[in-house]
Amino acid sequence: MNLREFLSDRLGRMAGQLACAAGAVCFLWATGTRTGVLTLLVLADLVLFLLVQTADYLRLRAHLAELEKILADLDEKYLFAECIPKPKSAYERKLFALNRRAGKSMLETVSQARSAQWAYREYVESWVHEIKTPITAARMLCQGLEGERRRKFLQELAQIEAHVQRALYYARAESPERDCLIRQTALSELVAQAIQAHQTFLIQSGVRVEMEDLPYTVYTDEKWAGFLLGQLLQNAARYRREDPVIRITARPLGQKVALRVEDNGLGIPAHELPRVFDRGFTGSNGRARGASTGMGLYLCQKVAGFLGLDLRLEAEEGKGTSVSVSFPGKEEVTKS
Amino acid sequence: MQTILIIEDDPVIREELQLLLENEGCHAAAVTEFSKIPQQVQALSPDLILLDLSLPNRDGLTLCADIRKCSKVPIIVVTSRDSTTDELRALSLGSDDYITKPYNIPVLLARIRAVLRRSGGASEPECLEAAGLRLDLAKGTVTAGGQTAELTRNELQILAHLLRRSGEIVSRGDLIEALWDSRIYIDDNTLSVNMTRLRGKLEGIGKGGCIKTRRGMGYQL
Repeated sequence: MNLREFLSDRLGRMAGQLACAAGAVCFLWATGTRTGVLTLLVLADLVLFLLVQTADYLRLRAHLAELEKILADLDEKYLFAECIPKPKSAYERKLFALNRRAGKSMLETVSQARSAQWAYREYVESWVHEIKTPITAARMLCQGLEGERRRKFLQELAQIEAHVQRALYYARAESPERDCLIRQTALSELVAQAIQAHQTFLIQSGVRVEMEDLPYTVYTDEKWAGFLLGQLLQNAARYRREDPVIRITARPLGQKVALRVEDNGLGIPAHELPRVFDRGFTGSNGRARGASTGMGLYLCQKVAGFLGLDLRLEAEEGKGTSVSVSFPGKEEVTKS
Repeated sequence: MQTILIIEDDPVIREELQLLLENEGCHAAAVTEFSKIPQQVQALSPDLILLDLSLPNRDGLTLCADIRKCSKVPIIVVTSRDSTTDELRALSLGSDDYITKPYNIPVLLARIRAVLRRSGGASEPECLEAAGLRLDLAKGTVTAGGQTAELTRNELQILAHLLRRSGEIVSRGDLIEALWDSRIYIDDNTLSVNMTRLRGKLEGIGKGGCIKTRRGMGYQL
């Protein structure tokens, strides 16, 4: 609150007080008070008036500064009303009480929404676990089919599984800290697991994977990082051209290890590049091909965010896409 | 013959697993009565247990700990719960491996074999022999009639897969899948190239023509 705001707030009151004082002076002058006494009285009144107003201004300013500091120090800003000192005047107390009631109702709404979201997440998780049993059973039953039909069934099952997995990780990504464990992992193992998880789809797409030796150890959560790599592999196979090849390479980058997944597929038009990580963005490739949800890269970005990975995407239309993921890690001293 | 005990509540998976393991030459028993499982384990004394975590009336993890109290049998937890915390708890309660559903069947079998091997069972053969060929998996060489040829990793795995199923027709699709399972990620064209080279090498040791092409179906050794 600056002086101007203070004055404009008090303008009416001050004008009233000055008018009263002027009236009193007129009355005293008319009733024959001497001019000397009157001047003294006016001066004393003016000094007193200025003192009171200045004190008032300083007090208000200090109070506001205190409130600002409380808010700034608070992690959960919405708990502000619970943390400020009780106001002194009755009017302020009323305002304060009203504010608190409003705040309480908001807190209730927020916590209800939170627990609803939590319950939904729990439901999705348990649903995903339930659905995995029939998928497993169907997979086992496929063993009894002859070659080509079995492969087709397995491909369909792999698609179902990929969708289910995305739903699970979408639900988990809202509060990832509950199920995240950073461990030391061999990068080659991480990549091999991701390839294995999407093997059926990759083979069906006629993809060849060229993988260098990846003699690095990284520090990350295997499940989340594996999910992220899996999405990249899915994209590379999905948006392929003829004779698709996925190249997987890695190189040290300071304290980090940068893993690169490159394909020779359709690439992405330059004007769409800034939006590829947006939620629900499908782009011209996705629309042309259909069955694109625009969730893959959005989730990747989210996962990379909380795992502390650096995710970069480069693409050239008609040439291919290259995504690099930088993991915290170190080069392994002994090659295994 | 090794006995594998399946503790799984879904009847379809249970029966199919039994079938699969019997085909692999194991004796597969399954628990159908989900009470007093530790006693059943003791009575049967299997070489390996496949344990599902979501069982009727009972948590698989406590069961894992209970079995561990009375037996040293290797346990592989097979479950649809895929959280890291579950995995760590299962391993700390004494299970030997943790596989999430839905699993890739060759991978499941490979990990069963690995656990059996670690617990002192039969070891993976170092050499494969069929159709007059002797394939040394450790050295990466193939021998026939006293002549030896060195093979690349890809050629070795192709030949090994054909030898394991010698006499059968192996489709190109099956061959590619088997190679991916051994972490060789090739496509159809690369398979053709490798096949030509492998045949060339076999010809060099006097076994040309032992891999026959069955048009439209695949290869046969």
